[in-house]
Amino acid sequence: MIDLSVLSATEIRDGIAGKRFSAREVADAAFARVEALEPSIHAFNQLTPELAEAAADRVDAMVAAGDELPPLAGVPAAIKDNMNLVGTRTTCSSKILASYESVYDCTAVRRLLDAGALPVGKCNLDEFAFGSSTENSAFGVTHNPWDTDRVPGGSSGGSAAAVAAGMATVSLGSDTGGSIRQPGALTGTVAMKPTYGRVSRYGCVAFASSLDQIGPFAHNVRDAALVLNAIAGKDEMDATSVTETVPDFTATLNDGVKGLRVGIVRDMLELEGLDPGIKASVEAAAARYAALGAEVGDVDIPAARHGLSAYYIIGPAEASSNLARFDGIRYGYRVDDATDVLDLYMRSRAEGFGPESIRRIMLGTYALSAGYYDAYYGQAQKARTLIIEDFAKAFESYDVLLTPTSPEVAFKIGEKSTDPLAMYLSDVFTIPLNLAGLPGVSMPCGLSEGLPIGLQVIGRHFDEATMLRAAAALEADLALDMTPSMARGGLDG
Amino acid sequence: MAISESDVRHVALLARLALTDGQVSSLQTELNSILGHIDELQGLDLADVQPTAHALEVTNSMRPDVVKPCLSRELALRNAPEAEGGAFVIPAMAGAGEDV
Amino acid sequence: MAKDRLSEVLERYEAVIGLEIHTELTSLKSKMFCGCPVEFGGEPNTRVCPVCLGLPGALPVPNEAAVEATVLAGLAVNCDIALWSQFHRKQYFYPDMPKDYQISQYDLPFCSGGHLDVEVDGDAVFQRVDRDSEEEYTARIGITRIHLEEDTGKMIHVGGAEGRISGAEKSLVDFNRAGTPLMELVSEPDIRTPEEARRFAQKLRLIMLTLGVSDCSMEEGSMRVDGNISIRLRGEIELGTKSEIKNMNSFKALHDALAYEIVRQADLMDVGERVVQETRHWDVGAKRTSMLRSKEEAHDYRYFPEPDMVPFAFTEEWVESIAQRVPELPDAKRERFMGTWDLPKYDAVVLTSDLAMAGFFEAAVAQTGPARAKSVANTMINDFSAHLNAEGIGVDESPVKPSMLAELVVLVDDGTISGKQAKEVFSAMVKTGEAPAVIVEARNMRQVSDTSAIEAVVDAIIAANPDEVASYRGGKIGLVGWFVGQVMREMRGQGNPKVVNEVLRRKLG
Ligand SMILES: [Zn+2]
Repeated sequence: MIDLSVLSATEIRDGIAGKRFSAREVADAAFARVEALEPSIHAFNQLTPELAEAAADRVDAMVAAGDELPPLAGVPAAIKDNMNLVGTRTTCSSKILASYESVYDCTAVRRLLDAGALPVGKCNLDEFAFGSSTENSAFGVTHNPWDTDRVPGGSSGGSAAAVAAGMATVSLGSDTGGSIRQPGALTGTVAMKPTYGRVSRYGCVAFASSLDQIGPFAHNVRDAALVLNAIAGKDEMDATSVTETVPDFTATLNDGVKGLRVGIVRDMLELEGLDPGIKASVEAAAARYAALGAEVGDVDIPAARHGLSAYYIIGPAEASSNLARFDGIRYGYRVDDATDVLDLYMRSRAEGFGPESIRRIMLGTYALSAGYYDAYYGQAQKARTLIIEDFAKAFESYDVLLTPTSPEVAFKIGEKSTDPLAMYLSDVFTIPLNLAGLPGVSMPCGLSEGLPIGLQVIGRHFDEATMLRAAAALEADLALDMTPSMARGGLDG
Repeated sequence: MAISESDVRHVALLARLALTDGQVSSLQTELNSILGHIDELQGLDLADVQPTAHALEVTNSMRPDVVKPCLSRELALRNAPEAEGGAFVIPAMAGAGEDV
Repeated sequence: MAKDRLSEVLERYEAVIGLEIHTELTSLKSKMFCGCPVEFGGEPNTRVCPVCLGLPGALPVPNEAAVEATVLAGLAVNCDIALWSQFHRKQYFYPDMPKDYQISQYDLPFCSGGHLDVEVDGDAVFQRVDRDSEEEYTARIGITRIHLEEDTGKMIHVGGAEGRISGAEKSLVDFNRAGTPLMELVSEPDIRTPEEARRFAQKLRLIMLTLGVSDCSMEEGSMRVDGNISIRLRGEIELGTKSEIKNMNSFKALHDALAYEIVRQADLMDVGERVVQETRHWDVGAKRTSMLRSKEEAHDYRYFPEPDMVPFAFTEEWVESIAQRVPELPDAKRERFMGTWDLPKYDAVVLTSDLAMAGFFEAAVAQTGPARAKSVANTMINDFSAHLNAEGIGVDESPVKPSMLAELVVLVDDGTISGKQAKEVFSAMVKTGEAPAVIVEARNMRQVSDTSAIEAVVDAIIAANPDEVASYRGGKIGLVGWFVGQVMREMRGQGNPKVVNEVLRRKLG
């Protein structure tokens, strides 16, 4: 049986092309791992073996016909359950969409599958992507494969855990304030948020439209780059997707960092509450860059300290608007004894949304309501301008920037679920990038007490190539084995 | 800027959320705690700063006036809680909301 | 509404009226933010997609042609075009609005600061009692802004009376119309009389039709006019409390509803009562307005910049390129009709008040030559208009085509048939759709103008009626009519009456 815990996407594709194994065997291996590991992880809201097998059969038919295989042919892929795919439910881990069936495809998912990937299933998330632990799911918490008493981060915790456990080779998540990168850090995976506009948002249920971006999880930088290759590019269905040319993001991965200017965001590293182990690990990573020939220095992004405040206005404001459509009229949960339409709205929404969704809808509605717009939304948009300007200034001197991804490693399930504000702090390093539209990748840079530490590498707008090159160089240098013990080996893992 | 109980109720109506008294009370506490953090922005002098709605300076993203295929009605109504004669069914309109 | 009562009220009160006019861009192929076709009616929910149904994850992409049409409209009514503009979300819950927010524009609309000049004449001049002249006048009505937004779906209320909300048990929602590009024009409160309001709306409609952006059907709702109206004592500067009037589904309804509302508000103020700020519904059957909702249910639309779309940055050059596409507008066309063909103003106004009439006229004149333009105008304003009214049809639906009408005018003008015969030919044309020459030929109506042929008949009649000839010569000159009748009967009506008269008078001495 194929050991998916050790195979990269390219190895899988090449193995199928070289007829060492079939795509169908890969699918079987993936679902065998799911069967073994999913009960203790709960990464998925829905498994899609029929879709995966059909996709595998198409790949095998191509092999039989002697056709050139697409870049992700036969690669098991998991999809965050806020992205539409015909033949699946898209629940956003919410009661309000518990039985919602997709009637069209999310562009990024379509592109991933067109590149040959096998859809394993739809992954758990914090309801509507509101959270940093995947505890805010109507369908139960997802467990971290490194320690099942701990959270995998969030909101794309299911997508992160599925890859960390080897149930999928790659996965898609969405990132509004760190929802790809933070769970990437907590699960020891490579997790990337591309530049805003790089990947179409069409078909991904919107949280905050001006911040959301779809991106990959993978075991290594090259696989992440392959997924980005597949999903990036202008989509006529998303007015905010850009026409910027899409390079082959794998082309320059091995070019090294000699002469590359690497900036450590010093004021973030001095943040109170940052786990000292994480701080030391980031410093060590910076030192490795210097050793590899990069020019390493310090830089400050002072306005980033306002990121959290700005984000907790802009994010909820946009979310309160984006979630208005869940009204029980055309789809979704509806109370069955409504006396009139107002009653239907009020109770369907109150019963359909979980507590964190209600909290954010309330916060966002308040921030946009008459008399408060300027003080909250207007002020947050201005703070956003300052953050953009500070990053622009930093990128005058540096090609990439480094921060920790998360101020702490994976925390215990339940540890923060009663304190929203403490939870919000999980994204303090990742949020500024969403506000500025910048790309960022979280990569493992070590362990702290047996749990993965994430390093965030930040690139310029649309310069994911340089960012990934820097990440790949460090990845090769560190040569960490980031497979959690439960996920090691083949079927019996 | 502290949020009062009646603010919470007003906002809940705007957002079409039927909250229990318990929810109103806990949300008042939580929102005030979050706003207490966010209020640091009020102290910034940003009078001369332009607001950013979109992080990237992209403009004029439009599509040509071209007709594309619609959803079949079966798919359009696939998730309808209640449908009749090809239409979505809703209860009486009394008190539906703010506009007619 | 008795004119007298309105007149009396307007002696004491001045009305302040502003209009909000929604126009669906029905000439576009696809909706505002998606590729669904723009059409009217159809089976419910057959012209919908994830975007216009507001399905989770769907995103709007603006239709370039809708943006251009709005800028075109703005330029046609003298607006400034914003070089920087964007969409906002206007948020409120309503079942016919799929996303529970409407994508609209807020503080950065495409067009602002325009105006239209409205000419008022005839009986309606009396409504402006502040004018001491009864002459026609021109009122300049400011246009605050024109912005672009998306239309809502439609609801059918079941179980109540006549599809109204009250008493309904349930409602059916159809989203076919949802997302239709909708242009909203907001006028300044510069309108002072119901007639000015009507003429403003009519003129705007004609401009939109001329631009070809909409079919502007008030019946089908592709043009919808709402009014804001308050009154104040003459001489007062402060504005009164306004009410908003909806459901004015025709120009007559617009006029009558505003007239009703002026009197209603005056009646309240006359007895010292307060006008309440509210939205009122025009009931065309009962000829009155009634309260729809009071202002107490205050709106909080929570506008914010639409994050699913990027801003619009236009260059002067681009705006100029749209300006080049503004066709000849109604005022200019009217002036041209007066100048080129020397038509009286009345004729020019009638002919240019309808695009198809104007086009018909120009096509007919192209065939008859400019010298016969007045004859063409006469025939169109009289026979042709009467025919259209009688049949209740539009110009394009008539069997009478410009070439036919032109041919008819030429036949009369060159004396082939008489004016009386022309009426007969016109009726036949309407019935059969045959060309005038064919009808004239088939009915053998060709008029005889040949003097010698007429002289022969006249001689015969004179010879056959010596008594009448004597009477005539004895002074009963009224008998000439009888002689004409005899000649015409003999000639089966085909004698040129002018020539017959002339020959008779000469021969009778
Ligand atoms: Zn559509």
